[in-house]
Amino acid sequence: MLNATKEQAGSATLIRLSGAIEESANFDKLLGPPPAELIVSCKDVPRINSVGVKAWIRYFQQAQAKGGKLTFIECSTAIVEQINLISNFTCGGVVESIYVPFSCESCQKELIGLFKTSDLKSLNFILPELKCSKCGGKAVFDDIPEEYLGFLMK
Amino acid sequence: MSSLLLISDIPEDHAFATQVAKSVGCVLIHAKSPEEGAKMLRDQSPKFIFIDGSSAKTYQKFEEAIHETVGLFSELIQPNMIHFISSETMDSIPHLTQSPLFGHLIFRKFDKLDECAPVYARVLAATAKERAFGLENFLRPGTKIQTIQLKSSDQKQGAVGALTNYLNQAKFQPRMATQISNAVDELLMNAIFDAPIDDTGKTLYSNTPRSTIFKLEGKSAVEMQVGFDGEYVGITVVDHYGSLDKARLLNHVSKNYSDETYKLKLHQAGAGIGLATIYQNGGSFFFSSCVRERTEVTVFFRRTKSFVEFKNQFRFFSTQFYF
Repeated sequence: MLNATKEQAGSATLIRLSGAIEESANFDKLLGPPPAELIVSCKDVPRINSVGVKAWIRYFQQAQAKGGKLTFIECSTAIVEQINLISNFTCGGVVESIYVPFSCESCQKELIGLFKTSDLKSLNFILPELKCSKCGGKAVFDDIPEEYLGFLMK
Repeated sequence: MSSLLLISDIPEDHAFATQVAKSVGCVLIHAKSPEEGAKMLRDQSPKFIFIDGSSAKTYQKFEEAIHETVGLFSELIQPNMIHFISSETMDSIPHLTQSPLFGHLIFRKFDKLDECAPVYARVLAATAKERAFGLENFLRPGTKIQTIQLKSSDQKQGAVGALTNYLNQAKFQPRMATQISNAVDELLMNAIFDAPIDDTGKTLYSNTPRSTIFKLEGKSAVEMQVGFDGEYVGITVVDHYGSLDKARLLNHVSKNYSDETYKLKLHQAGAGIGLATIYQNGGSFFFSSCVRERTEVTVFFRRTKSFVEFKNQFRFFSTQFYF
């Protein structure tokens, strides 16, 4: 079930979403009318289904229609997948940072690393290796670059 | 002894068909051109046909050759027995997805023949049965199948949560477990809201908000079966309406919303993107429907060491309709 906390970040309203976004998600009820400047943290959104996508687009299109500034930060892998699958998922907003999946070559543990999208572009989408938090082994990017980072390559 | 006709001049296809035919106990007969294949079809009545469907031109030749030899509506050629092989994604092969002969589609990813051939042999064996129903047909013999009956529409999220736990216990990476759970979420939603129709074929709940709670009793009962054979997890969602429309299904999964804008249809309660998005996220699908009786949709996902392998796994998309 989707939850949200709101805080002020300078002139913007920062909303932290947590939980799965599915048919019970009611953005209007949860967040109220979209403010002029909105930052959305999606770090704790593990899953979004098709009805959740519809609710998401419906809400954030309102923000887009108002001409407000919309920024998505700390996008979880579930959100990044939707950004890649649905061309208008971000509703004109800017994706500032995303979680990138890694997998340990030794113990196969799944890890995630937070990257600014501007850094990913300047790295030319060649991701550095990480150290596995479980065994100390080498963790490498675990997805297809053209698919996971596709929205940044367009 | 029954035979499997391969119409393809691609060595990979030949290697795959040889292995599958062996596993399923069939004789492989091989035609290198659509014209030769049509003659073999007329003369030898194969039980299964594997055909390279990569190009529209080859497909057109096949259709013409069939038309000239046995006729497109011959008993000798039924969509249920035709398995197209292609390297392309579904949105780029409209000649197949819009074909009246579409039955099954195998994606040409045969690099691990020892793994993919036995899996597809089970699929083939299932299609040869009177009805390809039951998850046990698709997993290794002896695999324990668990069944969950949904008694109410609001039990869907609970069922999806239970599945995620099951996958975690089966040691699927969390991201794989989420992808699979999402796929099943969409299938359950389709079974609960889109499958029910009245006597005239009109949908009963397709415009009902997906958060609506109602009982799933009698014909509206929905069942989920889950099994893991140590390599593949299979999940089947069952409804008792048999209302699945093949043309609509293929149209939905062939959509690619990364190129076209997803337009909100506010008058529709569903999102209309479920099948397209879950299909693009990987896995294999088997849709089996006995018209006005029952539909079973099964998804298969191989447990892999990495997510890249998970995405690149051998895949197929099958439809089997009984009238």
